[in-house]
Amino acid sequence: MKTLLHRLAPFAFALARMLAQAAGIVVIVFLLARLVPGDAVDVKGLDGDLTAAQQVALRHELGLDRSIEEQFVAWSWRALNGDFGDSIRFGRPVSGMLATALPTTLLFTALSFSFALALALSVAVGGVTMGSRGLRGLADLLNLWSIALPTFCVGVVGILVFSVWLGWLPVLGSMVLPVIIIGIDSAGVIVKPLHEELREAATSAHIRTARAKGLAPWRIALRHLLPTAAPVMLALSGLVLTSLVAGTLTMEVLFGLPGVGSLLLNAIHGRDYPVIQATILVIAVALVAINAVTDLLHRLIDPRMTS
Amino acid sequence: MTETLLRLHNLVVSAAGRRLVDGVSLDLEAGRTLAIIGESGSGKSLTALSLLGLLPEGLAVDPATRIGVEGRPLAPQDERGWRALRGRRIAMVFQDPMACLNPFMRVGAQIGETLQRCGIASGSERRARIEAGLAEVELPDPAALVRRYPHQLSGGQQQRVMIAMALAGEPDILIADEPTSALDASVQADIVALLARLQAKRRLALLIITHDLAVAAALSHSIAVMQHGRIVEAGPTAEVMDRPRHPYTARLVGAGRRLVDTPASTVPRHVVVAAEGVCIDYAARRLFGRPSRAVHGASLSLQAGRTVGLLGESGSGKSTFAAALAGLRPLAGGQIRLLGHVIEPGGKPLPKALRRRCQMVFQNPYGALNPRLAIGRTLAEPLELAGMPASMRATRIAAGLNEVGLDAGVADRYPHQLSGGQRQRACIARALLCDPEVLICDEVISALDMTVKVQILDLLKRLQGERGFAMLFVGHDIDAVRWISDEVLVMHRGRIVESCRSEELDLVQVRDPYTRRLLSARLMSRPAGENGIAPVREQLLRDAPVPSVAG
Amino acid sequence: MSVALPSAAIGTVRRGPSPRTAIAGLVLTAIIALALAAPWIAPFDPLDQDLLALNRPPGPEHWLGTDHMGRDVFSRLVTGARTTLMVGFGGALVAFVLGAGFGLVALSLGRVAETAMFALIDLIRAMPDVLLALLLIVALGAGAQPVVIALGIAFAPFFAYVARATFHREAVKEYVAAARLFGGSRLHVLRLHLAPNLVGGLVTQAAILLPRCVVTESVLSFLGLGSSPDQPTWGRMVADASRYIETSPHAIMAPVIAIVALTLSLSIVGEAVRRHLDPLRAAGEARL
Repeated sequence: MKTLLHRLAPFAFALARMLAQAAGIVVIVFLLARLVPGDAVDVKGLDGDLTAAQQVALRHELGLDRSIEEQFVAWSWRALNGDFGDSIRFGRPVSGMLATALPTTLLFTALSFSFALALALSVAVGGVTMGSRGLRGLADLLNLWSIALPTFCVGVVGILVFSVWLGWLPVLGSMVLPVIIIGIDSAGVIVKPLHEELREAATSAHIRTARAKGLAPWRIALRHLLPTAAPVMLALSGLVLTSLVAGTLTMEVLFGLPGVGSLLLNAIHGRDYPVIQATILVIAVALVAINAVTDLLHRLIDPRMTS
Repeated sequence: MTETLLRLHNLVVSAAGRRLVDGVSLDLEAGRTLAIIGESGSGKSLTALSLLGLLPEGLAVDPATRIGVEGRPLAPQDERGWRALRGRRIAMVFQDPMACLNPFMRVGAQIGETLQRCGIASGSERRARIEAGLAEVELPDPAALVRRYPHQLSGGQQQRVMIAMALAGEPDILIADEPTSALDASVQADIVALLARLQAKRRLALLIITHDLAVAAALSHSIAVMQHGRIVEAGPTAEVMDRPRHPYTARLVGAGRRLVDTPASTVPRHVVVAAEGVCIDYAARRLFGRPSRAVHGASLSLQAGRTVGLLGESGSGKSTFAAALAGLRPLAGGQIRLLGHVIEPGGKPLPKALRRRCQMVFQNPYGALNPRLAIGRTLAEPLELAGMPASMRATRIAAGLNEVGLDAGVADRYPHQLSGGQRQRACIARALLCDPEVLICDEVISALDMTVKVQILDLLKRLQGERGFAMLFVGHDIDAVRWISDEVLVMHRGRIVESCRSEELDLVQVRDPYTRRLLSARLMSRPAGENGIAPVREQLLRDAPVPSVAG
Repeated sequence: MSVALPSAAIGTVRRGPSPRTAIAGLVLTAIIALALAAPWIAPFDPLDQDLLALNRPPGPEHWLGTDHMGRDVFSRLVTGARTTLMVGFGGALVAFVLGAGFGLVALSLGRVAETAMFALIDLIRAMPDVLLALLLIVALGAGAQPVVIALGIAFAPFFAYVARATFHREAVKEYVAAARLFGGSRLHVLRLHLAPNLVGGLVTQAAILLPRCVVTESVLSFLGLGSSPDQPTWGRMVADASRYIETSPHAIMAPVIAIVALTLSLSIVGEAVRRHLDPLRAAGEARL
């Protein structure tokens, strides 16, 4: 029983930290939206002509005349139940709008993430095990690419070349080009540290021991090299997912994909605060959850962390 | 009649045009042990790695090198040929077992890999062989051990696992590269004894690579001494140890033996440092965690002009205790009287003027010198803090460097441009610029080569004679501590377990069981002329629980 | 086993800049010079619309052509450089001051304050920088100033982390203990031993983050959240022209090439700065 508790303690710790961070984000998101000069009623007032009395009535209806603590408690309670209120501009429930947008973004993220990981891994592992200079150069190139070439610039050039000049892809709505662009960009973020980690692992003492045992190279790579690099790979995966957020946002806007990014940006331009709050909250909490999961996986992979 | 298993002729290893190993030739014979001895950078480890074709990237074996294994020639670049030999014919044990075992794999699986490679596919047979192998290296409870991860074992156990793993493929040749250097003194002797027994039992051709003369002398039939990539002297162990022909060997042997001379004691004088029941805690590693106690009620008395040695293994708390004496660590209990000032738990920090009168020299001279500052700038620091005007500092620094045997030109150089010994001299010079009455030397020689160690010890002794400071010498090397000290304290798990005059530190007079273990773990260091070297080896074999089959 | 490799990393190697760095330096200097000289060298007012010359390709009158509203692309490019550089560099500067300041205050206040204050930073870092910048811009409103502040807050944690890491790495070094034994005060240790390492680490971090700040600024203005519409920026130019990509590709290529040239040269020069600051430390630690 006691040993079980011992083993569960780090998991409980990771979970607690995740919840604390999520709670912190909820507070930040709520407060920042309240810092904005003018509230939702003012925004509506700009479009149609609401009389002063109508504004007061609407404020009361939306709960905007109550104290900020009361508003926060009410808002977070509803958010916890999946109710983010109604969109100011469209009058529809925000949760419904999110539900329509999420599949696109999730699919896009999953595709880009898999592509990025596959590309980075094959370049890094190939570069280390084969000692190929070409692959090492490719790793450097990918790295420089992701630092120096903003995805929206690559996207614009990509549209120009593949859609306008070559006519291979439709300008809007296709996921092929954005997935490739974001995949390359994200691969560039992790390929260099991954390569360096693998290289360092390849020269480490226990890999030398494995070689001294006379094991075959593939066996060394599979059983000794990859497990050693696994914690770093996990950490880097978390990093990729974080960097994907910015990329997804611009790609959805540029390529007209109806995902969470487009939803957020339209809401910002239309000052549609319930939608802004809900989307940012969903993205941020998803990232916190992902970080918690990578942390847990790390503990599971590395036997040194559990005892 | 001995059979030669491996013949190495004219090995040349070079990197970027520099010859790191330059024409080394040697034979390994069945049932015989050869030791290659040399200091860091002598090329001895590269020689060992070449015998497995395991040289790191960027290093190349010259094509003129001839290697023959069991009569068949083998090209240095023939990776497939080497791989076929590794683990089965030639196996290797490395220096740092913690780093050499895969932290992600269970012990049993790591040994099993070697067996699998040698064609033992059946799981039950492999399991039996793994357990038998672990029993052979005298590890208790092999059945439970196979399920453990390396980090759950002690350093000595890890090295035994490494040996079991190397022997699993039943090789004829075993290469051990500094097999005991990363281990504590009391464990070192056990591993050396184990290697001696296994070598005899299995009739292995054993190649020991070491910087430690005692290890070489205890294990080997013959010795090759390497310096600057060449073998400068080779011959039967007893002969090399007793009648070294090459001056470098003579210096090396002499350095080890010098420390055995009993030093002249100094006269007792007034007490400058007195510690009573000192307790020290390490802060908790986590928020709300409990602190752990590193030192339990340690006491000490240090007199002007005399030296107290503080002997202990890594983790014994000796360095923590030493730092507390200099006022660098808060106390959790007890009291220290430093030059008349009382240090207590929760007390005020030491006044600055007093702090300067007790100086410390640290183990790692690189960490003790700011890499961004030239030596001259570093040495100016204590003078500047004493308020000496800048114009006067240069001559004082030159004099300080001169005092520790360094050229005044060293002042313009950076730490990484100096050798380890020079760096440690610079650290000593800097400490002495404060004109301390107490000098605490924390493992000051452990990062240095043998011949340099002796030079630094000589230097400290000379400086103490000239300046009359009291010295606390912290170390793990019994001979060095005993040589330089008037009194010796032995520390174990945070407690002082033995306190005696240094000439009393031997198996006849010491009672404490831990100190006795430390003393008996000492391998050589007795004058070879008296009882020779071979007896040590015989004694190792005699103590063996495993019957010896050596002829 | 210790293998000492003769390597260029040992010893302070001071060579001149490589051709790559030299070219990048030249490009960067040229961009900054153009931005500074914009009011004098821009042939047209960047906001002037010439409805008779819409989507003109590059020619003798309009060197880089005109956009969909007949505005001169070259004039908009050099004027936009001012905003892009000012906001990007300003953001990095704010991040530097904010992050390093916050980090150092946290470190000097002791362990509890450090833990608490860095927990706050961890919380901020839980959100990706672009998302955080977006959120801040929503709160502060659009415009150049809010973007500078948003970038500053979004990137500040990196500097705070560097300050903490350097501090903890150096504070346990034995030369710091030695300095205390010589009677050195906290201030002395900070000045002689910690400050050079701290400055080195922070400048290195700035060299990494500067191109990221510039890119983030471009992304934000591309999304229409940067400075106000009468202030041309490169990101906004890309966004504007992307709707007319089929008819006037030149209007989009000019700002795209400008952005890429700027970020590329910034990161190459930054890399050189890092290499210049690092060799001493690298050589030192390689010998341990």
